[in-house]
Parts: sequence; structure tokens; C-alpha cells
Amino acid sequence: MSTGLEKEAETSVDEIAELIGERAIARDDHLNAPGFVINPADVQDVLFDLRDVAGYDHCSCVTAQQYADRYETIYHLTKYGNRTDEVSIVVPTTLEEPVSQSGEPVYRTADWHEREAYDLIGIEYEDHPDLRRILLPETWQGHPLAGDYDQTKPQLVTLAEHANPLQADHHDTESETMFLNIGPHHPATHGVLHVKTVLDGETVVDVDPDIGYLHRCEEQMCQQGTYRHQIMPYPDRWDYVSSGLLNEWAYARAIEDMADIEVPEYAQIIRTFSAELCRIASHMLALGTFALDVYGEFTATFQYTFRDREVVQDILEDLTGQRMMFNYFRVGGVAWDLPEPREEFFAKTRDFLDELPAKVEEYNDLITTNEIFQLRCVDTGILEPDVAKQYGCTGPVARGSGVDYDLRRDDPYGYYPNLEWDVVTEDGYDNYSRVLVRMQEVEESAKIIQQCLELLEEWPEDDREIQANVPRTLKPDTDAEIYRAVEAAKGELGIYMRSDGTDKPARFKIRSPCFSNLQALGEMTEGEYIPDLVASLGSLDIVLGEVDR
Amino acid sequence: MTGGAATLLQSNDTVLLPERIADLTGLGELGVAGELTAAFLGAFIVANLMLATTGVAGPWAKRKITAAFTDRIAVNHLGPAGIFVIVADSVRLLSKENIIPENADRPAYDLAPIIIASSALLGFAVIPMGSGVHLADPEVGLAYVFAVAGIASIGLVMAGYASGNKYSMLGGLRAVAQNIAYEIPLVVTGMSVVLFAGSLRMSEIVAVQNETVLFTIPGLEWAVPAWFALVNPFAFVLFLIANFAEVGRNPFDMPEAPAELIAGYQTEYSSVYFVLVYLGEFLHIFLGGAIIATIFLGGPAGPGPAEIGIVWFLLKIWAVFLLTQWLRSAIPRVRIDHLIEIGWKGLLVLSFANLGLTAAIVGVVFA
Amino acid sequence: MSQDPKQSIQESATPSTDTRDARMGAGVDDRFNSKLREAFGASPFILTKFDEFMNWVRGNSMFMLQFGIACCSIEMIHTYAIKHDLDRFGAGVPRASPRQADVMIVPGTIVSKFGPRMKRVYDQMPEPKFVVGMGSCTISGGPFQEGYNVVKGAEEIIPVDIHVPGCPPRPEALVYGVLKLQERIRHGESSPVVVKPYELERFGDLEKDELVQKLASEIDEDDLVMRYNWADSP
Repeated sequence: MSTGLEKEAETSVDEIAELIGERAIARDDHLNAPGFVINPADVQDVLFDLRDVAGYDHCSCVTAQQYADRYETIYHLTKYGNRTDEVSIVVPTTLEEPVSQSGEPVYRTADWHEREAYDLIGIEYEDHPDLRRILLPETWQGHPLAGDYDQTKPQLVTLAEHANPLQADHHDTESETMFLNIGPHHPATHGVLHVKTVLDGETVVDVDPDIGYLHRCEEQMCQQGTYRHQIMPYPDRWDYVSSGLLNEWAYARAIEDMADIEVPEYAQIIRTFSAELCRIASHMLALGTFALDVYGEFTATFQYTFRDREVVQDILEDLTGQRMMFNYFRVGGVAWDLPEPREEFFAKTRDFLDELPAKVEEYNDLITTNEIFQLRCVDTGILEPDVAKQYGCTGPVARGSGVDYDLRRDDPYGYYPNLEWDVVTEDGYDNYSRVLVRMQEVEESAKIIQQCLELLEEWPEDDREIQANVPRTLKPDTDAEIYRAVEAAKGELGIYMRSDGTDKPARFKIRSPCFSNLQALGEMTEGEYIPDLVASLGSLDIVLGEVDR
Repeated sequence: MTGGAATLLQSNDTVLLPERIADLTGLGELGVAGELTAAFLGAFIVANLMLATTGVAGPWAKRKITAAFTDRIAVNHLGPAGIFVIVADSVRLLSKENIIPENADRPAYDLAPIIIASSALLGFAVIPMGSGVHLADPEVGLAYVFAVAGIASIGLVMAGYASGNKYSMLGGLRAVAQNIAYEIPLVVTGMSVVLFAGSLRMSEIVAVQNETVLFTIPGLEWAVPAWFALVNPFAFVLFLIANFAEVGRNPFDMPEAPAELIAGYQTEYSSVYFVLVYLGEFLHIFLGGAIIATIFLGGPAGPGPAEIGIVWFLLKIWAVFLLTQWLRSAIPRVRIDHLIEIGWKGLLVLSFANLGLTAAIVGVVFA
Repeated sequence: MSQDPKQSIQESATPSTDTRDARMGAGVDDRFNSKLREAFGASPFILTKFDEFMNWVRGNSMFMLQFGIACCSIEMIHTYAIKHDLDRFGAGVPRASPRQADVMIVPGTIVSKFGPRMKRVYDQMPEPKFVVGMGSCTISGGPFQEGYNVVKGAEEIIPVDIHVPGCPPRPEALVYGVLKLQERIRHGESSPVVVKPYELERFGDLEKDELVQKLASEIDEDDLVMRYNWADSP
């Protein structure tokens, strides 16, 4: 395990209780953290205290949900310096008047999270700078994850025209700026992102990412599935660039902690092994598409990363049976053991690991040491660490901004604590740092895979237990609530689940790292040029499936 | 048109293609009308030669070259090495529906592709391609080439403006900024060659390069042709860079910038217009290659009899084309402000330095 | 709180089929019809040969629209990239501008918000144009069919020539799909549109039902809108 930083001091439950004092009207503890219920009018007050006095600088997620008698907003707070120190702030509002104070002034990241809560559940936030729908079209009727929503009602979706640049209404004589729609179908948006951009010549004055073009109702789908089998296929499709197993792990970890299931050690090693392979595949794609954004066309670097991804995908296919949508993890273990003959599989993986250093070298020759590339990437798309924390950035984006934060080390799970590897950080805060972080993480992942491989090879044959004992129908305790996260390819992928005693979750909320990271785009690009906007977007490495869910 | 001018501007010592045609077919005896016909025939032959080259380059060679750089195969199902894709691609592109956007500025929108394609084609009129393929040899040949190649930027800005699309608009504006910034270094560097050759006439520039110079390294004497690329490699590199920017190739493919501006100024063009724009682009690469070949690489000079000069010439311009494709695969795109900076602060200064140096050397050595 | 799909269908609107009718017309598929054929009426020998040639041309050379939606787009890129190299079949030049593309591979789930935009991109492509639906989502909505925001298949919005099933389809499957499309084009076949209830309409032209009246203050008369009706699709 990496040595890393000294953990920040843990704030005890009593200290928090004292800090919140009278403002706490009740306790609502979650399985992962103590929960304090507060009044809708005290939100900013309490959050400010928790951030500034107790040091909870990371608003990991904001969950909204509707009970039969009330709405509820939960702020899942934690610390960048000590991930296991968590606290949940629960804000109930009545059904008649679902208005709550916004947490946005305290945590910038709450902006989008609260917009999403408004969009899907229907809670309104006072003081919010810009409360409008975020995932669904502006003209949508009703709030689909609220109790009384009728899915069969027809809806209208508008299409605004892309107007002529020379028409008067888009040419403001005073500011002389031009409004430009980038996306939702544009080669640089990595899918169906729409960035409303205001340009002054070639300089970006204002950007407003408009998301929701791939909002596939993942949360609804998971709420309709049973814990045991029906949810697991969906995580593969959140972050779909072959990081499926990392996402599956997020769900597996949440449900295993919720239902108190102990995963066998052998299965943990297989999980760690395969998840890191996914990370390599995902980072390769990030590198390739970033090269595409900077180079401009389907060039050599881009093609080479896909060549290398093919190798990883082959190994994963041998293991799981699928190239992308693995559905390989099971609650309490994995679906099956390594493929037979094992030696062949090990040899194949070893070949890949042996070739990897040379390939990384090749990428360094092609990309990072190229002067034009450095000209383009160094000191562009600056994201200061404090800003990154405010926006709840995690993963390579945060680590490229010098924030030493990695859940594999800070909130240990799987087999990571028993292995030798390092958390990579870079202090450039720019696009270049983010690329470097990803390239070095590929090497670290290779180290982890190497160690897992050795363990798997030597594991005694009669002890290869891949699955814990899990009841056929999983029914966690009524009103059990949990928020658990893992380090996915793009950062902290968290899942909040609430059980109502049935075999399906009553609320399933996904905290997507890309969603939070994308919010910071404005901070990174305003005042820079269009090519930098494109490069910064590429360096954030967003996947729209995960942003929109 | 250019052929007609050629008969008036021809020099005395080179035999131009229209004259040859006139002699062979007897058209010359029919007076001015005959000479004009011969000139048109000559222009027709040269234009078709260049269009054929582009036809091979656009749909096929470009794909094959890129594939080679990226470990792929590319088209291989139609005929040997997929060569018939040229037929399929060109006919298909021409037969597509031609969409004209509602808010396009009509005459400008239609004229732009024609200007882009024809400006490059005009340039080939004064290029001596060897084997007697040389349409006209005016006194101001080099200036003429630079002038007509420069017309293309008008086409680009017309396309960008008239399409009524913001991406086109940005692409068009970039094209203008880029062309202005790089045209000057290009011409100034070209001037240094003129100083050496003492003439703007293309045939004379080529003739000067046919002499041999002797490189004497201790223990080794080496006779090489006096190609300006070897005589003044500094100017050659400058010219090469300015030329890539001028024709908008990587790493300077700003006006198109696929990842940023969709397809830049050509975003709205489809069907025939797109073919013209696409052709124009390739013609410009080849014209750039032709200028480089003529003023730096000895034009059609090469081993073997003078009759196969055109082979050498085509080889040289394909070499330049190959270089553009190589850069496309390997080099990141420069940002627009860097591009302008490199142009004005870097290349311009260097090109004037080069000119001054050349002038000094020519003055001292040849005076 | 789970959203069980309703068994009965309420407030069903009659599907509008303008595009389908325009598209199918009478006789052979419009996409292959030339002005010459209209002038001649029947198909004389020379035109038949010419048609054959044109079909060969279209079937062997296509520019693809650079169009990524969801999971399938990753496999689509793999299909273009080193190992599978779709360009071998003359179908591997991605164009970012729809004006220069012939084939649109729809790689992923279409949701209500994206529907009108996809229709717009499709409309911007010049004829003759072809669509390959990639993956289960473009067939039926796939694993997300029951989502409140999901369009149940690309065919609801644009006509699809070839469906490639899979979630996602392997690159080999997509190559096969493109080859099948080329084969069909070479034979002059193309698919008629089967289901198509979603159209882009002017807001002012809509029937003044409850929803339209409610939104009247928000949407301009001239704005284009698309009706999304989850319950109405099969």
C-alpha cells in the first residue's frame, strides 16, 4: 500500500453533534456515516460550519428523494484529507412546499447536484443561482423520480435553430461577442454534450455545458431491478469506455456493505486484477481521444491507443466473455474463476504487461515530449486545487491539480491495501498534468496487475473460492441507507441506496465523477481559446453515459 | 487564357507546350485562332494531368498513406490495392444531392469552390514540368504563381462567409489571418532564390540549378547539382514551413481544424461543391509542391535523359505530398495564436534575415 | 417509488407519418430514382445499366458520419481503428460534417432530448443516405426501454436500413452490418420505414391539446418541436 499523506484528524460524532448543536432536529444515521437532520432554513449555516470549522471540504454527493410524507435532500460530506471521515446532512421538506436552502454558496459542486434534484425529484432550492432543469428538456412536464409521476403522459421537446452568425440578434454591438453551439453532435464533445459557448473572436468568454442528451434513466432502471442480479448489468453502461468492472465494483461494494457480505479473498484478488485492466483500457481511450482533440484527426497516436486497448479487451474477454459490458462481478464475488487453461491466460496477460513499458515509451515519444504538444497543453486549462475541491473534482482530474486523493488508498477496499503501488499526482494543474497523471496511472495499474497475477498463480487450488454465501433473494433491512464509493477510472464513483425492505432499492442514486468534473469546465476555459476549450474538455475525460446516467 | 498569354510572353530559348502542339498538328499555320486553339489544348492537357494526380491522391493515396502510418490496410477490395475506389468515390461524390443552405449568400457561396479549385490550377501554367510540359514562361513567372495561389484565400473567406454557418465563418477568418501571416515570409524567402537566380522567370530558375557545385570536404570531393535546397537549406526549410501554413496543412490546418470547427470553411458544402473544395485543397498541396520542386529542387532535373523530366518532377511533388501526410499523422495542431505568432514574430524575421544574408553573399561572391 | 410501466395506453396520439409517406412514395425507393428515369417513364436498357453502375458506386464507397452517442460508439471507433479497419471496404472515411457523409451509424441510446437533434443531423445529410442502427438501443431501446426518457429505437425518428443487434455489437458484427448494407445497395434495395411516430413539427401547427396550451407561453409559435410519447411506441 502506498504510504501517501498523513490523514487529517478525524472529527468525532460528538464533536459534530456539538458543532451543529440545536440546529440538529434529529439523528438519521446511515450505514456509512452519522446523519443529522436539520431544518431547510439552516442548510447554509450548518454546511459553512462543517466546512470551515470541522474541515469537511468535499461535498461528495447530494441525494434527493421522496418519501410518502416528505421530500429529503442529503448532503454527503467528507474530507479530501481523510476520506473515511464522513457525515450526512439530511434536510427534509414537506410535500406541499418542497423548498430548501441551497448549499451552492458553500460547495460550488452543489449547483448541478441541486439542479438534478430539482429536475428529477422536484425539490426547489432557495438561493440557488440558476435553478433550471439539467437532464431533461426545459419543456418537460413533471419530475420523473417523484412519486406521482405518470410516465405515459406525452411530452414535447423543442429544437432551437442554429441561427445565422450575421443576423442581428446574435451580434451584440456592445460586447461584440458571438454565441456558438458546440454539440450535441460535434467531433470534440466525446459523445452528445452540448456546450453553449460565447466567443469574443477566438477567445472563450463564457461556457455553459448543457447535458442530458444521454440521460437513459439509469437510476430508474436500477430502482426497478432486484439487488441480487438485475442491477449489476447496468453499471457497465454508465462509464462505458471499458471501465465496466470498476463501475460494477461500486455497486458490489455498496450492496455488500449494506447486506453485510464478506467477499472471499481470492475473489477480491480477481476483482482487483480485472478492475485495473479496465483502468488501463479506460486511460488508453482517454489518451487517444485527447490526442484526437489536440492533433485533429484520426492520427497515429489515436490509432495506437486503440491497438493497445484491443489487447486489454482480449484479456478481459477471455476472463468475462464480453468485450465491454462484462457483467462479471456478482454480489459477494465474481461470476466464474479464471479461464482454463490458466497458464495460457497468465501468459497472455504477462505478454501484455511485458510489452506495456515499451508502449508507454512510444507514447511519451509521440505525445508528451513533442514540443507542439507541450505548447498546446502546458499552462492551458488551469484548474487550481482549491477550485477543484470546490467543484468536487476527483480522480485524475483532481490528481492532476495536485490533490492527493485516491479512494483505493484513502478508503481501502478490495485487495489494494495489500499491494505495492503509488498514488500519482502532478503539480501543473493544467491539461498536460492530467495527461501525465493518466499515463503514469497506467504504469501503476500494471504494477498492481503484476502483483495480482503472482498471487493468482500461486493460489492453492483447493482454496479458490470465488463467491460468498448470498441469499437467493436479498432484502436488506428496512430503511437501511448507505453511500459507498470506489475509485473508478474517472474518479469517485459513489452509490447511495435506500432499502424499503423489499428486494429492490427504494432509491438508487449514482454519484458520477464525470458529472462533478465537467462542472469545472467553465473555470478552466474562460478566457482561453477555442482549441484550449476543446483540449480541456478532452483532458477532463468525460463520458456522457456517466454524466447523464 | 493562360495559354494565350503564353504566346505573347514566351522566352526565346524554351519551347513551350502550345507551340509544340501547334507545330505537331499544323494549327500554327492557321494564325492567331490556331495558336489560341493550341494554347487551349495545352492548358487542357496540363489541367488534366494535375487533376488526375489529385484524383489519385484524394480518395486513394491519402488513405493508403495514412493507413501505412497507422498500421492499417485501408481500401483493398476494389481492384489491385483498392485503386478503383477512385472511380467509386468520385462518381458517388458527384452524384450526391447538392444541398444549398437556406441562408447561404448565393453567388458567393457558388463561386467560392470554383475560385478555390481554379486558383491552384492557374498556378500550374508557369511551372516547367519537364519533358516539354510547360505552358507559359512569362518574365514574372514566380510572382505570378504566388499571386494566383494567393487568390485561394479569397475563396476560403468567401466560402466561410457565404455558408451562413458559424463554424465556416470561424474557419474563413482563420484562413485569412493565416494566409496574410504566411504569404509574406513565403514571398520573401522566394525572393532569396530570385537573388541567386537573377530572374523571376521559372525556366531560368530551373536552368541555374542545373549547374553543379563542388563540395569539398577534406579527403572527399563531391559534385552535386546546385539545387537551391542544397545551396541554401535554411531558405528551403523556411519556405517549406511557410508553404505548409499557406496551403493549410498540419500542423497548420487551422481553417479546417476537424476537431474544433467540424470542417471549417467547407462545413456546409456537399456534392459537387465539396468535390471542388476538396480538389482545390489537394491542388494547392501539389502547387505548393510544384513551387518547391521548381525553385528549390531543380524542377524536372534528375538522372537519365531530359525526356523523362516529368517523372522526376512528379516524384518531387509527391514527395512533398507524402511529407504533408506524414506531418498530418504525427504532429499536433498549433493553436491559432501561436500560429500567428510563429508567422509574424518568427518566420517573417527569419525570412528577412535570410534575404539580407543572401543578398550580402550574392553581392560579395558574384560581384 | 419505482415506476412500473403502465399496462394500458392512455392519451395515445395518432402517429404522424409524413416522412414515411414522402419517403416511400410510389414505385422503387426514391433514393435511387433519377430525374432521367422520371423523364423516360419506364426503365430503358441504358438506364438499367447506368443504375447498376451507380449502385456499384454507392455500394463500394461511402463516407461515414462521425457520430458518437453512447456505448456502441466505442466499439464503432474500434471498428474504424487498427485491428478491424472498416476502411478496407471503402467505408472508413469519417466526416464530421453531415453534408459530406453518406452513412450514419447510430451508435447508442436515443433519448427524448437528443431525438430532434438526431433528426436534424439526418436531415442535413444529402441523398442518397443510409442508416445503420448499431446495438439494441437503436432497435428497441435495449436495456433502457422502460426508461421515462428513452426513445424506443432509432426507427421511431429516422428510417434505418440495417440493424446490427448486440449490446454492444462486436466490431466484427458492425463490419458485417456495413457489408450487408453495401450488398443491399449494390442490389438496389433499401428498407421502407416501418414505424415512425416522431416528427419535427412547427409548434404552431400542433393540435391545441392540454399540453400544448400549457406550454404556449414557453415555446415560440415557429419553434420546431417533437412529440415524445413513451407509452405510444410499441
